[in-house]
Amino acid sequence: MSLPLRSLTRTIARTSRTPSIRSQLPKTTPRITTTTVTTPLLTPCVATSPFSTTPARPKARTMGQIRARNSTGPFSWKAALLFVVTGAGMIVYFRVEKERLERKRVAEMSKGVGKPKVGGPFVLKDLSGNVCTEEELRGRYSFVYFGFTHCPDICPDELDKMAEIIDKVKEENKGENVFLPVFITCDPVRDTPEVLKNYLQEFHKDIIGLTGTYDQVKQVCKAYRVYFSTPRDVKPGEDYLVDHSIYFYLMDPDGDFVECIGRQDTPGSAADTIMEHINDWKRSGKPLKKD
Amino acid sequence: MGWFSWSSSNSNQSSDGGRIAPDRSSRQRCWEARDQFFTCLDNNDIIDSVKGDKEARKKCGKENTEFESNCATAWVKYFKEKRVMEYNRDKTIERIKKEDAATVQDLKSQGWASK
Repeated sequence: MSLPLRSLTRTIARTSRTPSIRSQLPKTTPRITTTTVTTPLLTPCVATSPFSTTPARPKARTMGQIRARNSTGPFSWKAALLFVVTGAGMIVYFRVEKERLERKRVAEMSKGVGKPKVGGPFVLKDLSGNVCTEEELRGRYSFVYFGFTHCPDICPDELDKMAEIIDKVKEENKGENVFLPVFITCDPVRDTPEVLKNYLQEFHKDIIGLTGTYDQVKQVCKAYRVYFSTPRDVKPGEDYLVDHSIYFYLMDPDGDFVECIGRQDTPGSAADTIMEHINDWKRSGKPLKKD
Repeated sequence: MGWFSWSSSNSNQSSDGGRIAPDRSSRQRCWEARDQFFTCLDNNDIIDSVKGDKEARKKCGKENTEFESNCATAWVKYFKEKRVMEYNRDKTIERIKKEDAATVQDLKSQGWASK
């Protein structure tokens, strides 16, 4: 590599008529200096080549001409503009694409290989006393929260947040019924359908309340990986609290877990996250119930 | 007694056997009574009103009674314990922050520069 380059340098040094340049080129010229100086000087050689389509540039005769050519080089304002516009375009495109892939990765990651890790089959009762299974949630995005009506402070706050999220998502979907907010009680002994109905009405009429027997609720909590600490045998009238998970679970229309929404999310940020997933699903053309 | 003394009466029993939870307005009343009680505790430098029950009753007797009559027993216990937990948590965070600042100061004096 170094041999042909040095011989090239020597040729250029010979062709150059300016003695000052020759003096600037010692035999062991570092590569970088060589290339910067050679570019304009090489052109005549290239122009004589039969393969070149570049019009021959007149040979630079004086230092002034060389300097003038060097001052602009191959750059012009057009090239600069093209460079900046293309660059900006690419950056924007890559950012958008990266975000989309990241969301896809989050969604795919939760799908796992075989069975979903969070969520799964359950049998519960809705507030009219009808049996409700995980099948009823299929086909739409569902938003599952576990709580109990005798909850002192966190659940009411979170349910107020849920109400805001429901309205925001509904508005963004232009009234399409693609989103199912679900409240599952961890305290089935006290939270019967009637109690639950009155409680949830205070927050949002769209929230679907689900309750069941002690074992049914225990099973659904296990499926959603919710810590379940409800005492089994409670004396009538005894007062107690229930520890439970304070996350919202976003489930996709296949019934697979997508993402958690926690205390740190505001109604705005939560609704944005949900809408991103819903829009990704819509864009991918997969079926989604809207009625 | 209070608005919802669950342990004594059947009035909070729903027709299908469940127990009616406090609604929005009674929650609000409970929280307000709680805040008044805690303000009184703050003024008297009492953190733990479970262990320091005697002192709390002596200094904030009125607020305590109000708090207990507006909130369910389980809630009263929960809020009192939560107050202690939050106090300890805040103190720990503050301590860690101070330690962090001291470590940074120490490292800087040894010639370390943060980027």
